[in-house]
Amino acid sequence: MIRWLLRGVAHRRVTTRYPRVEEPPPGGFRARALLDPDGVGDLDAERCAAVCLPDALTLSESGHLRLDASRCIGCGLCVDASRGSALAMDSGYELAATSRERLVVGDGAREADISPRSLAGPFRRSLHIRHVDTGSDGAVEQEIAALLNPYYDMQRLGLFFTATPRHADVLLVTGPVTRPMEAPLRRTFEAMPEPRVVVAAGTDACSGSIWTAPEVLGGVDRVLPVDVYIPGDPPTPIALLHGLLLAGGRVQEASPPRLEREGAA
Amino acid sequence: MIALEERRCDPNGLAAELERIGGRLMMLFVTPSAEGAHELCAIVRADEAVLRLRVSLGGNSYPAVTPRLPAAHWFEREIHDLWQIVPQGHPRLEPLVVHGPEEGEVRLPDEERLEHRGAERLSGPGVFVIPYGPVRSGVFEAAQFLVQTGGEDVAYCAQRLFFKRRGAERRICEVPFELAVLVAERVSGTSSVAHALAFSHAIEALAQTEVPERACAIRRVLAELERLYNHVEATVRECEDASLSVAQAQFAALKERLHRLAGAVAGNRYLRGVVVPGGTRIELDATAADLIGSTLREWERDWRQVLAVLLRTDSFLDRLVSTGPLSEQDARDFACVGPVARGSGVDLDTRRDLPYDDYGRFDVARQSDGDAMARMEVRFQEVDSSLELIRAALGSLAPGPARAEIGRFELDAALGAAESARGETLYWLEADGPATLRFCKLRAASFVNFGIFNRVFDAQVLTDFAFIEHSLGLSPAGCDA
Repeated sequence: MIRWLLRGVAHRRVTTRYPRVEEPPPGGFRARALLDPDGVGDLDAERCAAVCLPDALTLSESGHLRLDASRCIGCGLCVDASRGSALAMDSGYELAATSRERLVVGDGAREADISPRSLAGPFRRSLHIRHVDTGSDGAVEQEIAALLNPYYDMQRLGLFFTATPRHADVLLVTGPVTRPMEAPLRRTFEAMPEPRVVVAAGTDACSGSIWTAPEVLGGVDRVLPVDVYIPGDPPTPIALLHGLLLAGGRVQEASPPRLEREGAA
Repeated sequence: MIALEERRCDPNGLAAELERIGGRLMMLFVTPSAEGAHELCAIVRADEAVLRLRVSLGGNSYPAVTPRLPAAHWFEREIHDLWQIVPQGHPRLEPLVVHGPEEGEVRLPDEERLEHRGAERLSGPGVFVIPYGPVRSGVFEAAQFLVQTGGEDVAYCAQRLFFKRRGAERRICEVPFELAVLVAERVSGTSSVAHALAFSHAIEALAQTEVPERACAIRRVLAELERLYNHVEATVRECEDASLSVAQAQFAALKERLHRLAGAVAGNRYLRGVVVPGGTRIELDATAADLIGSTLREWERDWRQVLAVLLRTDSFLDRLVSTGPLSEQDARDFACVGPVARGSGVDLDTRRDLPYDDYGRFDVARQSDGDAMARMEVRFQEVDSSLELIRAALGSLAPGPARAEIGRFELDAALGAAESARGETLYWLEADGPATLRFCKLRAASFVNFGIFNRVFDAQVLTDFAFIEHSLGLSPAGCDA
């Protein structure tokens, strides 16, 4: 044991200072696509929408593109397919929002009409989190578990996991909600005391994303009222921290996936 | 590319034929046909060859294979669930992949027939059942375990999976294969590279496309990096179970460093969106190769230091040695794969046995004790070999393209394989025309390894549960697909 003690003490600090200090993602990180809805040439649109597996990028009948970041898996195929510069990849870590409308740009988007929601209430200081997997791919769970590693150490922010829903403030749901998991999800939610917050973690939990089979309900909000959406495939630990802090009203939500270009109208 | 030796077989003679061939049952599934006459297909590894046994099913039943070949037990239950074809004489033909109308309700062993394994269901004062899951304490994937116990000894542990079935196989056939690889990556999110590789190998076999040398080297780097973080994850979990907080933190930090490297190199912390049919989407230029080389040099030094201390920590070793024993006979009978099989002395590794991506020669790690410690020892040895393989691959990055164009499909069916950190991952694809797929059957390593979960609890106690589970390193997402 003394050997572990010495090893533990000997280590330098690696913990991020997020959210006080911004955590920069590595260059070339593919978090989600960004769209400049006003600068799309007709030539691009069809090709780009055709390579989008989860239908995050869609083409309306009037020929306008629409990008839904709550469906985007960040594969980058649309950017590869585009010849113009109206699409680009976002490498940012902070992607969470309080409504899906806030994550849509382009045709029919109402992002401007939706004002940011304040969740502050009683959760500003500390949150106890109960996690439920409703059909994830298994990587989100590992990213959530990574919040306890020395690099993120979420307990320094007053965030804790709890084994029982009776002690939980936050229901953290991963996966697109498969039919067999609908009832356990509901029961877990019902066992939680009020007030409570539901957080959908991961693109498939936000929208169902690439999963369209009848076995899948298609997003947590088909079953429960979702307060915070954390897109990402899988969401990175910082993205999860951002979403959980947003649930406590301690940070700003992400901006819509709009590509701002210099000189663009 | 895997050469398949094709044989026809009579439904009544299938079990006898499989027994005669011996070898390892890799897959058993039903292929639909437009005429309505379904075909049963068995993929078997025998000596040096891979056999495809085709059985035309006349009616809605055939004599079950499981009584003679236990490895077929889940495959036949799956066939029964999905096609309503009855394998007659199967010892336990109840729903496996399809959940009943009581969806998600806790099913107690009263409703489960527990004669499987010959174990009688216990009754008497003080005997009770712990239904653990599908919502489990802690951050875990959805799976359910029904533990029968008298208080401390585990009398019987039944596993229930397939809460997470998302219909990946059908989804793969709905979209162009260039996009279907993205579905394969998300079947088991921690084995994205292995699934993308197995799928891509099948597509490349269908189109008879050679992958450029440079792409092979990049793929080896990615696949071994993925193996590294999965093996470290297994170590983190075991330290957590042993309440070694400092060890847990230090291994978790080592794992985090690998994910950061992955994010910097591939743009995704789980290496998604880089392996594609025909090659890779990244070129891995000199800067990236140097970054991997130098990061892993430092990483290896720190890994060795922490691991050396762990292997001298009695409170860790005590919990793993002789815990969760799996006999070599069981590992063979149930066709286990990956570190689970290798820990029980079975000599198999897809990278060597069904060679792909120019792996070349390397030593397959193996242990003979079959306990949790043996499975971890296999992983520790594989960390060393993965580091060696990455170094070799980085040194052999040939100039040239990293991606070949996939031509028209030349074959009508092909098998793709890759060794994930959990073991052999298989994709069986059938083509319909020059570029579309009509049928996909995938088999993750966890599908077979989960099948033996109830067989490793002989003389075990409740507190060993977590050690056993994490030493098997299973992925419910991959199993359920």
